[in-house]
Amino acid sequence: MTATSDHQQAAYVAGQAADARVHVELQTGDMTLNIGPQHPATHGTLRIAAQLDGEMVIRADPIMGYMHRGYEKLVEVRTYTQVTSLVNRIDWMGSFANEVPFILAAEQIMEVEAPPRAQWIRTILFELSRIANVSLFLGDMGVQLGALTPVFFAFRDREHVLNQIEAITGGRFHPNFDRIGGLKDDIPKGWIQETKNCMVKMRQFCDEMEDLLVGNAVFQKRCRGVGVIPADVALGYGMSGANLRASGVDWDIRRDVPSPLVYNEVDWKVWTHPDGDSFARYWVRLQETREATHIVDQLLDGIPSGPIMAKVPRIIKVPEGEAYITTENPLGEMGYYVVSKGDLGPFRVKIRTPSFNNISIVPWVMRGVFVPDVITILGSLYFILGDIDR
Amino acid sequence: MGKPKIPGIFKGLGITLGILGKTIKDGANTVQYPHEKETPPTRARGVIALHEGNCTACMLCVRSCPDWCIYIEGHKQLAPPRRAGGNPRKVNHLDRFDIDYALCMYCGICVEVCPFDALFWSPEYEYSEPKIADLLHDKSKLGEWMETVPEAPELEAGAQKK
Repeated sequence: MTATSDHQQAAYVAGQAADARVHVELQTGDMTLNIGPQHPATHGTLRIAAQLDGEMVIRADPIMGYMHRGYEKLVEVRTYTQVTSLVNRIDWMGSFANEVPFILAAEQIMEVEAPPRAQWIRTILFELSRIANVSLFLGDMGVQLGALTPVFFAFRDREHVLNQIEAITGGRFHPNFDRIGGLKDDIPKGWIQETKNCMVKMRQFCDEMEDLLVGNAVFQKRCRGVGVIPADVALGYGMSGANLRASGVDWDIRRDVPSPLVYNEVDWKVWTHPDGDSFARYWVRLQETREATHIVDQLLDGIPSGPIMAKVPRIIKVPEGEAYITTENPLGEMGYYVVSKGDLGPFRVKIRTPSFNNISIVPWVMRGVFVPDVITILGSLYFILGDIDR
Repeated sequence: MGKPKIPGIFKGLGITLGILGKTIKDGANTVQYPHEKETPPTRARGVIALHEGNCTACMLCVRSCPDWCIYIEGHKQLAPPRRAGGNPRKVNHLDRFDIDYALCMYCGICVEVCPFDALFWSPEYEYSEPKIADLLHDKSKLGEWMETVPEAPELEAGAQKK
């Protein structure tokens, strides 16, 4: 009796153990999918560690820092003239826009003001770099969703803008043109007319993109309602730029924060979209590119004559002080907090880059989306890796 | 939902076909590089040329270079006096002037700080080398680039001459 019960008990225990083993082996657990660091859909080395349940993303974490170059430390051992050539490389698609807030901050500490002609040309180049940056996104978004044609058009027409930037500054990607107290050089002859022709081409490009992608039913199906970010969440995560305006927040530093740049001289409009989904982000950027061409056109007509450089000493020493300047860069709000101790170079520089905050929303927005939508959302958030890691 | 589907796609196809027709008619936007070349603008920062006679080995460019890719060595030597019967002059003689184009990031600060107009930008860009060490251009090679330096472009109306 006892022997049988022992036997039965042993069989029972063995059965339980086998059951447990089977349960363990058949358990449908979460799968971790690494998107990146090297992946054609990420514009550089960004890694998204996504936990999947079937086809659904439960959790996605952006893992940054693969391209960290330590700019905040580097600029501490450079002089003010050398810093501009370094910070060019932060957002490499719209380089000139990176120099402007740093120079403005240094000018504010020095209490130097650039002459009006320099400010106008600065604003023109700022908008040209916005067009060069965002027009690539307009085509690139198609590639993320499987439409190959738009990116070729984007590269074709972006070339015109880069040619204009090269003709005035000498550098296609890294102009290094902004100086404390003004600009390095004046406009070469014929540049204004060429830039106007170029803006006509860019408006045609925007129309083409609108017909190719915005009106396309496949594009709309894949973008509408995907990655919806409400306005309060977007504000809470510190998003800025077109990503914030696509959530319906009417905030643009070019208009709302007084700055030496001459945006208040021209007639222009801030575009917003109430939806906050991927389609809204694309649409807002498209309208912004078109608006930027109008801003450039108006500014080209009204460049005042005069000197290009204020009176500054040949060896620039910035007096003791600190300043924080933000500008509306192509990707969003970019700020430099410059602390000077009266040396040849800055004592400490804090760089606030837009992409870093924009990408921080990934864990929030990617809960419960499907795997193909991850690419759509990443593409529509539009970050530049150098801007995240700097 | 059915209404916008067909027109949207056909609109896009129309654009693509239109561009295709334009490309067939006018030719492609791309340039077949070794056979045809685009001329860069006169201000393009291609390569730095050295006018050796103007250089006094003052080391300003070396110190202002953000990544320290310029190497200068020089010594003082005696030159014949300007006037007959005067004392011999002391002049700086340039022994070595190298720019390492493997390091250079084409910022143009050296050209800008040079107080004696010894450095110039040239839009020339065809100097790639199979070996990275060959990108170190010495004094004579930098001097050869001087022939390719263009005149500064004319300025747009309203510009103030310095």
